[in-house]
Amino acid sequence: MVEALGSLAMSNVLRPYLAAVRSTLTAALTLENFGSQVVERHNKPEVESASSKEVLLNPLTISRNENERVLIEPSVNSIRLSIKIKQADEIERILCNKFTRFMMQRAESFIVLRRKPVAGYDISFLITNTHTETMLKHKIVDFIIQFMEEVDKEISEMKLSLNARARIVAESYLTAVSNCLT
Amino acid sequence: MSVLAPIICDNGTGYSKVGFAGNSDPSFVFPTAIATRGSASQSSRAPAVPSKPGHLASKRGVEDLDFFIGDEALANAKTPGYGVHYPIRHGMIDNWDHMERYWEQTIFKYLRAEPEDHYFLLTEPPLNPPENREQTAEIFFESFNIKGLYIAVQAVLALAASWSSNRVTDRTLTGTVIDSGDGVTHVIPCAEGYVIGSAIKHIPIAGRDISQFVLNLMRERGEMAQVPPEDQLRVASKVKENYSYVCQDIVREFRKYDEEPYKFFERYEGEHSVTGRKYGVDVGYERFLAPEIFFNPEIYSSDFLTPLPQIVDDVIQQSPIDVRRGLYKNIVLSGGSTMFQHFGTRLKRDLKQLVDRRLDASVTASGSAQRSSGVEVDVISHKRQRYAVWFGGSLLASLPDFYTSCHTKAQYDEVGPSICRRYQIFGSST
Amino acid sequence: MILLEPHNVIIQTTILEKIQKPGSLDVVFVDYDNVRFHLSTPERKTVLLLSMNIRCWDELVQYGALDILRREYGSLLATQVEPEYNVSLEIDLEQVPTDAESREAFVTSLALLKRNALAAPFERGFDTQKQLESAGGQGELMQIHYRDEEAMYIQAAPDRVTVIFSTVFREETDRIFGKVFLQEFVDARRQPSIQNAPQVLYSSRDPPLEIRHVPGLRNSEEIGYVTFVLFPRHFTKSVAPSTISHIQLFRDYLHYHIKCSKAYMHSRMRHRVTEFQKVLNRAKTEVATTERKTASGRTMLSR
Repeated sequence: MVEALGSLAMSNVLRPYLAAVRSTLTAALTLENFGSQVVERHNKPEVESASSKEVLLNPLTISRNENERVLIEPSVNSIRLSIKIKQADEIERILCNKFTRFMMQRAESFIVLRRKPVAGYDISFLITNTHTETMLKHKIVDFIIQFMEEVDKEISEMKLSLNARARIVAESYLTAVSNCLT
Repeated sequence: MSVLAPIICDNGTGYSKVGFAGNSDPSFVFPTAIATRGSASQSSRAPAVPSKPGHLASKRGVEDLDFFIGDEALANAKTPGYGVHYPIRHGMIDNWDHMERYWEQTIFKYLRAEPEDHYFLLTEPPLNPPENREQTAEIFFESFNIKGLYIAVQAVLALAASWSSNRVTDRTLTGTVIDSGDGVTHVIPCAEGYVIGSAIKHIPIAGRDISQFVLNLMRERGEMAQVPPEDQLRVASKVKENYSYVCQDIVREFRKYDEEPYKFFERYEGEHSVTGRKYGVDVGYERFLAPEIFFNPEIYSSDFLTPLPQIVDDVIQQSPIDVRRGLYKNIVLSGGSTMFQHFGTRLKRDLKQLVDRRLDASVTASGSAQRSSGVEVDVISHKRQRYAVWFGGSLLASLPDFYTSCHTKAQYDEVGPSICRRYQIFGSST
Repeated sequence: MILLEPHNVIIQTTILEKIQKPGSLDVVFVDYDNVRFHLSTPERKTVLLLSMNIRCWDELVQYGALDILRREYGSLLATQVEPEYNVSLEIDLEQVPTDAESREAFVTSLALLKRNALAAPFERGFDTQKQLESAGGQGELMQIHYRDEEAMYIQAAPDRVTVIFSTVFREETDRIFGKVFLQEFVDARRQPSIQNAPQVLYSSRDPPLEIRHVPGLRNSEEIGYVTFVLFPRHFTKSVAPSTISHIQLFRDYLHYHIKCSKAYMHSRMRHRVTEFQKVLNRAKTEVATTERKTASGRTMLSR
């Protein structure tokens, strides 16, 4: 019961946080095809190559609390979005680490996923103008938001199931040892 | 000897062969099957995971430990609540969840090994996508914390297995592998340990077809009338395994049987699996006709008509010209369906004829008086043919080079799963 | 499979097979905790030689392993031990019991070779406790270094026998998972159904009092100590064998389940990742994918 209340309260805080990310991201996703100004015939995500300063926009951090925040770095032809996922204790830290690594290992099929997170964050996405041209912009935003919603849930569920497992394992072992008494 | 023997795992579509390096036979050979809770139909996507995580299932917590593998899986197939799955399709891993648990139980229940103390040698089919290797490495290094991993191509291991034959003098990894199991037959050319992918050919005739063919022949002759219908295929495959051989000339063989039927006809005695009633069947022409479908496929199939020697010749002709001699010289057999007596001799003779005929034709066409020195054709049969791939693995993993060719846990932690895209060939003396 | 079985499957299946159909044999295999086996037919096809190499053999002998093996296997113990191995059994296939049931029991007892050897310090501990009940004092601290970095300590007291495992987790994930599991072992006894179970204590880094004086204990983040307190009710005549089988496999049981949980996490993550994949795929616009072909059937790609 307490847990249910807790999650209710959380989702109340969560909603404005996600709404802020959603509107910032939607606003930032105004990308255009923009060739490099430094090297001829190169066309690279400016936010990554950072070769000309004037096409980079101001990066922006949306923080929910000290442990959870989103960094959005817009530029003329690409934006980079990095997420710091909540990690309350070392179990959550290791599970989060495992999960993001597992996902980044499959970055190929996720198109907008970056193979490495930006320093200080757990997972990063890189959206370029090609992505916004071939995919539906609002659906990309939906994906990011849904990811943020579910990743927390998944990690805490994984933690719960780990604890449940541990309990069963311990109980069955000790039952096996003590059962011989009866 | 502080290092424990490496574990060799050859997971095939039908059967898995697992055991320790240094032995001549696998410790366990059982079907690559897993019986899990839940119906067999909803298998495709994440069956182990409750479809709604966090629900009742994860409260109970350990459903994913409730499963059987191998023979036990088949024995439990009829138990209500269990469904049997085959995690490997066409040689490639199809369902990673099942495969991971399959390995889990192989290691802990059957081999009783602490994976942290062992090196592993796994096998993969030719043309396996590198992503599959990465996933395999991820499972073995992250779930099982193994010491080191080497993933070898099955065909290359089959070549290595032929080193045990006394006819092999130089330990080379160049050769043509004919791998015939239950489902399909592959002809795979290898040059210095690397598979020539573009030249591989598959033949849709293998063990299962031979059994079916034997069954047809025996039904036509009326032998199977005695045998209960559910046992017929099993009897046919027993006949195939125990009495069949490859002849050099069908017509002469038929004549021999007609002249002295008592000498050549064999009798197979069986017992009904349920009632225990005894029955016997005469085994006749199918003894030499069964394996003949490799050499004259038209007697069995109407859509696949190219004989095996012709296919082997095509494969070698499609390979780069500088390795062709090596490929002709070292044709290696692997898998249960190449175990027929005289199979190698017949293949060698037929192939030699094809090659010589082509050489003669080119001499006539060129009109010159110079003759070619000829091409050496040799087919290697050896005692370990049935589990050749596994045996080759066992052989390679007992070499000291094995440990240096493995990817170790430390390297994996440093580089990540992509480390398994690279691998190094070792053990050959050339 | 939740609990691990105490017997070795390879010994069991191979010997049963060879009883049916004798043949020459030469295989090596392993068991948990660095135990190596060699099963062979050195002289005749009907005489099997089963040899075992176990890391802590010298310690086990000191605690009476030979007596136990002699009790279990009697004349099967070979006088000449195979080189590189610690103990050998000679099994004459012609003298195996013929009726199915006792044959089964015979083969199972062979498959328990490792378990029986490792049972020695436990049995001695249990006996010492009986003696101490009247005499008082403390039993000898028996140390069994059964793995390179891990050891087992057994000590008898007038009212109990304490078994201490030192466990090392080399991986950080394992260490954290292990902590969760061990915490549950400690807490599990609160359940009314298993209140009779042995008491379990867990400490990371600091060795428990009983073994604090032992030299050479490492003191690092990765090491943990698990203590089982066995009371006489856990090792009465009838239950002692099963207690021994379970306790000596504790380390393997723990590590087996840590690995299983990681495998389970993997399948969960696979499921979750495909779910995310589906969400992302919704963003993709439908591109007309009609293949363009030439008259001869070759595919044309637009560049």
